[in-house]
Amino acid sequence: MSNHAVSRKPTWAGGKSPFKISYGKLMMWFFLLSDAFTFSSLLVGYGAVRFSFPSAEESVPAEVQTWVKDNVVPFKTDNHEAFHDHGFVESMQMKGVFSESHWPAPDMVFNHFPGTHLHLPLMFVSLMTFILILSSVTMVLAVEAGQRMEKNKVQLYMLLTIVGGFMFLGCQAWEWTMFIGEGAKLFTNPFGPVTFAALFFLVTGFHGFHVFSGVVLNIIIYLNVLRGTYERRGHYEMVEKVGLYWHFVDLVWVFVFTFFYLI
Amino acid sequence: MAHQNKTVDIHDEENYDPTVWVPKAHSHGTRALWKTFWLLLALTIIDVVLYFLMDPGMSRNVTFIILGVVKAAFIVYVFMHLTYEHKSLKMSIVLPMIGVVYLIVLLLKEADFWNYLNW
Repeated sequence: MSNHAVSRKPTWAGGKSPFKISYGKLMMWFFLLSDAFTFSSLLVGYGAVRFSFPSAEESVPAEVQTWVKDNVVPFKTDNHEAFHDHGFVESMQMKGVFSESHWPAPDMVFNHFPGTHLHLPLMFVSLMTFILILSSVTMVLAVEAGQRMEKNKVQLYMLLTIVGGFMFLGCQAWEWTMFIGEGAKLFTNPFGPVTFAALFFLVTGFHGFHVFSGVVLNIIIYLNVLRGTYERRGHYEMVEKVGLYWHFVDLVWVFVFTFFYLI
Repeated sequence: MAHQNKTVDIHDEENYDPTVWVPKAHSHGTRALWKTFWLLLALTIIDVVLYFLMDPGMSRNVTFIILGVVKAAFIVYVFMHLTYEHKSLKMSIVLPMIGVVYLIVLLLKEADFWNYLNW
């Protein structure tokens, strides 16, 4: 036995919480910070690869660009009827609009909308963004209802958030199906440089997986709300914690939308 | 095992127990939340409109990135309630993101060089 004076302090000797929040919420914040670094690396890496290629408007001859403006008109051109000889993608390859030597303009790649063959650039992804923003609002309304200990409201808004999450996942599945159906794979890309398709699948896939895990977490917490777990615990902070995660997923989507669909 | 039957005040800061302590929750109302929703929606619509109105190029890209950062800031400060948190937490979350800004500057410079190499 040693004779050293051993202080009998408990494991935690820091007094009060320095951040004025519970340890669970603090850890969620730090996890999200580390996740933000992961997504930043992916998106900045994408940006670097993107800018190492010339853009379509720098590389495609002016007369071809004029031809595209006249023949591929948003809300008017039917991509199935106007390009029935070779299909839209192949026609663009033959014109040199899609080529390995330059980055494609996103409005030429993501121009589909369910139920129509019209050239509708950015419309579907805007709808996806709208769904995710809306589900973020219902999430934060659930958190707010939890702060007032209103179980019924928390239940309703959590359920709406879960529905929004499934809608977003469904949209993403459709988007991937279209992109793959046109020939884009991890290592092949009919629209331009291979890295474009590879990074698209990597980053939207990684984000989609976050959405999926967010929906699973939301369902678990929703079931706990139904069972009255947080009513007994005296607070709805778990709703707030999964809410943080869910909003982070929305936040990442803001940048995925900006980098993949706008730039 | 004597403490097992003791009831713990989960909000008591003087008798702080990190395993259960949680600050008292209070609502800040829903007005700011809906305002932020309309703002995010408006900024997204502006994004799409600018995509078609502005000529492709660096100034359009910079506009999109600025709008993206504004949207992100509103999500973090209002939806994630960071604006109501203690200053120490705000700084712990926001300051490390400076590293990302540095990463962007470094890699864009690098990308310029790849372009130059005709990679």
